Amino acid sequence: MNTIQKKIWTLATVVLFIMVSIWLAFTHYNQKTQNQYNDILQRYLIMNEVTSASQQVITDLNNYLLNPSLANLEQINVSQEKIRDAKYEVYKLVNAENEFALTNYINLIDSFIETTNRSLMFQSEEEAEASAKEFSEATRISKYISEMTLTVIDTELKTYDRFYRGIIEQSVEFKKLGIWLLLLIIVSLLLLTYWFSLTITRPVQQLTKAANELSKGRFDMQIKVESNDEISFLAKTFDHMRININNLISEIQQKAQLEHELQQNKLLLKESQLRSLQSQINPHFLFNTLNTLSKKAYLEGAEETSDLLVSVAGLLRYNLKRIDRSVTLYEEVIVLQQYMEIQKTRFTDRLEFNMEIDESCLQLQIPGLTLQPIVENAVIHAIEPEEDGGSIWFRILDGIEWVTIEIEDDGVGMSEDKVKQILEERLVETEGHSTGIGFSNVVKRLRLFYGYEDVIHIESKEGRGTKVVLKIPKTRRIETYEKAPDSR
Amino acid sequence: LRKIGIIILCFVFTILSYFTFVSAEKVFHSDFQPPQTSAPNEEQYRLVLITQELETPFWDKVSSGAIEQAKKEGASLEVWGSYGNNQEDFLKKIEIAIHSKMDGIIVQGLDTEEFSSLTKVKAASSGIPIITVANDVPIAESLRKTYVGSDQNLAGKMIAKQLLSDMGISGKVIILGESEQEYHQQQRLQGIQDVLKDYPNVKTLYAETTDTKEQVIATTQDLLNQLPDVDAFIAVNANNSGAMIQEISRRSQVEPYHIYTFDDGPESLSLLTQGKLDGMIEQSPEKMGELSVNLIMKWLTDETVPLNMDGYLTDIRIVKATNM
Repeated sequence: MNTIQKKIWTLATVVLFIMVSIWLAFTHYNQKTQNQYNDILQRYLIMNEVTSASQQVITDLNNYLLNPSLANLEQINVSQEKIRDAKYEVYKLVNAENEFALTNYINLIDSFIETTNRSLMFQSEEEAEASAKEFSEATRISKYISEMTLTVIDTELKTYDRFYRGIIEQSVEFKKLGIWLLLLIIVSLLLLTYWFSLTITRPVQQLTKAANELSKGRFDMQIKVESNDEISFLAKTFDHMRININNLISEIQQKAQLEHELQQNKLLLKESQLRSLQSQINPHFLFNTLNTLSKKAYLEGAEETSDLLVSVAGLLRYNLKRIDRSVTLYEEVIVLQQYMEIQKTRFTDRLEFNMEIDESCLQLQIPGLTLQPIVENAVIHAIEPEEDGGSIWFRILDGIEWVTIEIEDDGVGMSEDKVKQILEERLVETEGHSTGIGFSNVVKRLRLFYGYEDVIHIESKEGRGTKVVLKIPKTRRIETYEKAPDSR
Repeated sequence: LRKIGIIILCFVFTILSYFTFVSAEKVFHSDFQPPQTSAPNEEQYRLVLITQELETPFWDKVSSGAIEQAKKEGASLEVWGSYGNNQEDFLKKIEIAIHSKMDGIIVQGLDTEEFSSLTKVKAASSGIPIITVANDVPIAESLRKTYVGSDQNLAGKMIAKQLLSDMGISGKVIILGESEQEYHQQQRLQGIQDVLKDYPNVKTLYAETTDTKEQVIATTQDLLNQLPDVDAFIAVNANNSGAMIQEISRRSQVEPYHIYTFDDGPESLSLLTQGKLDGMIEQSPEKMGELSVNLIMKWLTDETVPLNMDGYLTDIRIVKATNM
């Protein structure tokens, strides 16, 4: 991974490299020019050295001729040595263009030394006149040497003229180069810095934007950062966090939903219990009384009345017992039959009740007291108001995944509004004679029990009857309904 | 907007790179390198041509011939000398040449004591061969190896003959000589007089002058006064011809006079083309240069030893104004 630190190091290295290379180039150039200047100066100094050395020899020779002491002789040897050294230095200056002049120059120096030596020799042989003559000759040669020095320097200047001018031009050009280089470095550093800062700040900006979104509560936007450094790592972790939070939130929402459903369930139960309590003034007393009445009727030979009373008692007991737990479809059907028996006694031949039951479905679990309120509803709306009575069909049909329970009547039917009201679980005003539990209560309980909305379906048209269809799955989806009441 | 900024920046960057590169190339790539130092070439013979009259047309030709030849022979040669017959400077140059241990000296002969002593004593004792060129000095005086140049006696004779053919065999002739007569001038004069003495009707007046311009003018004036009906002039020293003609032309027309001189003066050629000179002896200066270098190289390489002491003569011919 490309880290930010690495990037900074790279930038610093590049800058450092540029600086070092420029420094090296400048130093190298300086050194080169310095050397050139040194060489040039050296040449002139060497030539000047020859002139002064030869003059020194003349002075010393003169001193010696006037006062031939050993010290003066020593002095001459020293200065002669000097001019010899100078001559060897001159050797080094020879090049193609000044070869002729410098050879002359060197030979002139040789001649000079020879002449001085001759003068010394004559002096030692005490030939004063000859010595003096050689001395004057040496003086003349010394003069020639200094003249020649000037000439050689002159030619030197001519030869090197272009070179010197070149050096001057170069130094002018060098200044220009410095300015160009400065500008170039400024621009390139600007570019480099821009690029570099972009690679760091752009991901940070993206991250900031993402964080902003997150803080506003939008957890569904994916965080994407185009970079390959720590920021991208940060972004990935951030994204991970976002996903986790998202999951957590949806989990909490689900839980809250469940909690809410549970709460509602409890409320409904309480309501139905309250209703049933309201309607039972000491139900056991009523139950016992009904049984006594039944026996009494039987003893008095009114068997039909006795049976009817047994049915009423059974219905009452079922009502008391079964409201808060699931029962089998079989039990529900038994209760339904008892209820219908009572109603038949009431309506005699005005009520026609048809039952089609697929026996294999009777072990299905179903919330208690669900079918009876629906049939009761049908009786109230389809039979009661009609003078000629009517028919009610009750069917249990087996399907592959579903068991379909149909309750159909041929009464006046319901308005669409009413159907809607019922399905939306709004309170429907009950009309008089119900056993206590409203249609909407049933719908609610069914939906809670099976966990889906479409468990109940109502087909109705005014004047042409109503058909209530329950689609009950063969396998339960939600198990919570069973457990919740047990905790009581 | 940012994109435009970056594009401009890149553009500037490119331009700056270009200029920097160009500038750097100029700085680090200098087109002139100093001459390489090298050990002195001991093999090469070092010759010097010394003249009194540097940068006159005549001596320029001698030098160019000599330099050409030296190049061919592989010797290095330099031309030294003095300007305008400065004898002191000329002699100094010779002395320096001797002290510089030249391998050979080609010199314009000068018939003076100092010259003789330099060539005879110093050069000879240092073993440096000397060849005189253009102007000779007597062999005995200089110990020169040989002479390269014109036969001055013959030149004098040719000029006299030309004079006779132009002027006829009778007339008055002024011969302007030099007070410090040099050897070659003596020879020329000798040649002229040798021819003219056979013609008794040709009257000659010989006058001497020093070589300063004022003096030449004064002398010419004096001569014209002495001999107003003169027919012809001969300037033995070509250097004096200019001043002489200038003075004549101040008096009268130059054309009627027959004026002759030699080509080794600075003004000779221009005077001839102007028609002021009637005739001029033309020598072969290039040939002299060539031959002198050739001979000294032969002597140095022991090819021809000894050289012909009488000298090696180069061609001369007369050039008339009408030929130009």
